[in-house]
Amino acid sequence: MNGVEIRGLCKSYGKIKAVDGLDLTVGSGQVFGLLGPNGSGKTTTIKLLLGLIKPDSGDALVLGRPISKGIEFEKIGYMPQETALYEELTVHENLKLFGGIFGMKKRAFLGREEEVLRIVDLKGRRDSLLSELSGGQRHRISLAVALLHSPEIIFLDEPTVGVDPPLRVSFWKTFHDLKRKGVTIIMTTHYLDEARKCDNIGLMRSGKLISKGSPGRIMKDTGTDNLEDAFLKLASAGSPEVLT
Amino acid sequence: MKGLRFLMVTKKIFWNFRHDKRSLALMLLAPILSMMVFGIAFSGDMEDVKVVIVNLDQGHQAPVFNQSVKISQSVISNMDRDVLDISYSSSIEDGLKGVEDGTYYSLIIFPENFTMNIMAYKSAMASENVTAIMGINEHSTVSIRSDQAEVSVVSEVNRLVMQAIAETMEQGGFDVPIDVDVSDPVYGDGATFIDMFIPGIMGFTIFLLTTTLSLITFVGERTQGTLYRLMATPITEGEIILGYALAFSILGMAQVALLIAIAVLVFDVMVVGNLLLTFLIGSMLGMVSVSLGILLSSLARRESQAIQFYPLIVMPTFLLAGIFWPLESIPAYLRPLSYGIPVTYAIKGLRSVMVRGWGVAEIWPQLLALTLFATAFLLGAVLTLKMERRRA
Repeated sequence: MNGVEIRGLCKSYGKIKAVDGLDLTVGSGQVFGLLGPNGSGKTTTIKLLLGLIKPDSGDALVLGRPISKGIEFEKIGYMPQETALYEELTVHENLKLFGGIFGMKKRAFLGREEEVLRIVDLKGRRDSLLSELSGGQRHRISLAVALLHSPEIIFLDEPTVGVDPPLRVSFWKTFHDLKRKGVTIIMTTHYLDEARKCDNIGLMRSGKLISKGSPGRIMKDTGTDNLEDAFLKLASAGSPEVLT
Repeated sequence: MKGLRFLMVTKKIFWNFRHDKRSLALMLLAPILSMMVFGIAFSGDMEDVKVVIVNLDQGHQAPVFNQSVKISQSVISNMDRDVLDISYSSSIEDGLKGVEDGTYYSLIIFPENFTMNIMAYKSAMASENVTAIMGINEHSTVSIRSDQAEVSVVSEVNRLVMQAIAETMEQGGFDVPIDVDVSDPVYGDGATFIDMFIPGIMGFTIFLLTTTLSLITFVGERTQGTLYRLMATPITEGEIILGYALAFSILGMAQVALLIAIAVLVFDVMVVGNLLLTFLIGSMLGMVSVSLGILLSSLARRESQAIQFYPLIVMPTFLLAGIFWPLESIPAYLRPLSYGIPVTYAIKGLRSVMVRGWGVAEIWPQLLALTLFATAFLLGAVLTLKMERRRA
C-alpha cells in the first residue's frame, strides 16, 4: 500500500489554480519532499490530503483510503506551517489536549510525551507557557504534537523553518528513525540542501508537478550537480515533465 | 513635507478601509443603528398593558329619577386605553387566576359599595353633618392586585387608576376620599425596581460576556491556525462546538451563582423561586451565547473585525430584551425584534423564577425558546465549521 496516491487533484481560488491536475504517488515508509517556490501549491496539496480543503476535482488515497470517503486522522500526524498551538497553555497542556483528542490513555500519553519532548530537546520546558518559548522552540513543540500519537504517515509543512542547524540535524535523524519504523513522511521545504536528504522529491510550480524522483536522479536527468540548478533548469523549461 | 508626515498615517487608515469595506460600513452604520434603537426605544410610551377589571359595584339608586348611578363605570371609562388593554371578569377568583398565570399584569377590583360609599360621603359633606361624616368608617376603595415582577408596569397601572379617579371626581364635581389599595400584590410583594432590574442585568451580563469571549476566542482559533490543526485530528466539528458549549454553559451557571450571591448579599434582592432553575436558565443562555459567538466568528477574519459586531450584539439586546423596562413599553412594531433576541426569554425566565417564584410548569415557554435558540445556533455553528472546509 502506498502512503499517498494523488489522481488529478485540482483546487482553485478564484482564477488562481493553486493545485492544477496533480498526479503523485508516494510509497510508504519513505521521506518525500515537496519542493517549490512560494505559491507553488505545496501547502494547498497537504491541506487537500488532510481534508482541510475540499478539492474541486480529482481524488487521492491516503494510506489506501480515498480522502473523499473521510480521513483516518488517528493514523495521520500534521505539523502546519504556523505553530498553531495554544499560546496561553503550557507545553504539557497542549500535548495533553491533542493526546486526549487522539484517545491516548494516561500512562501511554505520559510515556510518549517524555519521548517526543526528548526528540525535540525541550524536556525541561514541559511546564512553560507556550507564549514563553522562542519561535523556534514553539516550532519544535509543534513537531512534538504531530509525532505524539505515533502516526503511520506524517505531513510536515516547512518543519525546519526557524530551527537552528544542530537541531535540524537531530530532526533529520528523527525523520530517518521514523522511516525505519515504516512511517511515511511527506514534507514541504524551501531548503534545497535539505531536499537531498529525502528519498524522493517532487518539484512543484504553479500548482503542477514539474519533476519527481530521487534527488540524484533529478540532478542526473537535468545534467546538474545540485538541486538548485536542477530546479532552475526545470522551471525555465516551461512545459511540465514528469520523471518517474 | 516633513511636517505633514502624520498625514501618511491618516492615509494608511483610509487605505485599510479600502481593503476592508466591512469595517468602513460598520463605522458608518453602527452610529445610525445606535441612534435609531436608542431613540425609538426611549421615545415609546407604554402600551398593551393587559389588566382585568372585576366590577362588583352595586351602584346607587338616585331617589329623584329612579336612576342607577355607578361611579365605577365613569372611573373605568376614564382609564387610558392607549396604555391599558382592559378585560373584564365577573369573579375575583377568575381575575386572580389571570394574573397568576401571567395573562394580566393587574386585577382591578371595584367593591360592591364603591358608589354607595361615595354617595354617602357626598351627602354627609353636603349636609355638613360632622357626626355623619365621622360615622363613615369606610372609604371607597379600589383594590389593585398586581404582578409586581414588572415594577414599572405596575406603577404605571396604579398611576393610571388614580388619574382616572381624579378625572371622574373632577367631571362629577365632587371631592371624596377614594383609596387605592395596592398592598396585596399577587407576585413580588415588596418588590422594588432593583428586584426587577437584577434578573435583567444577570441575563445581559451572561450574554455579553459569553458571546464576546467565545467570539474573540474562536476568531483566535481561526487566525492562529489551531482550528485547522484540530480539524486534522479525529475530533469532529460537532464535538468542537459541543466542547465549547459545555464549557460556557458551566461558566454561565457559575456566573448566575455569583450574580445571585451578590444580588442577595449586597442588594438584598428577592429570590422567591428555585435557585436551580436560575442556574438552568443561566447555563442555557451560556450555550446560546457561545454558539452565537462562534457563528459570528465565521464572519470575522480578525479580532478587529470581531469587535465591530459589538454594537450589533449589544445595542439591540440592551434596549429590546426587557432589561430596564418591560416589553410593553417598547413600540409595538419593534416588539417582534424583542422576541427574536434570546436574552428576552432568559430575562423573563429569571424574573419569573426570582420574583414570582414560578417553576417549570410556568416558565416552560421561556425554556423552550432558549432550547430552540440553542439548537439553531449550535447547528448553525457546526455548519459554519463544515463550510470552512469548502471555503478554505
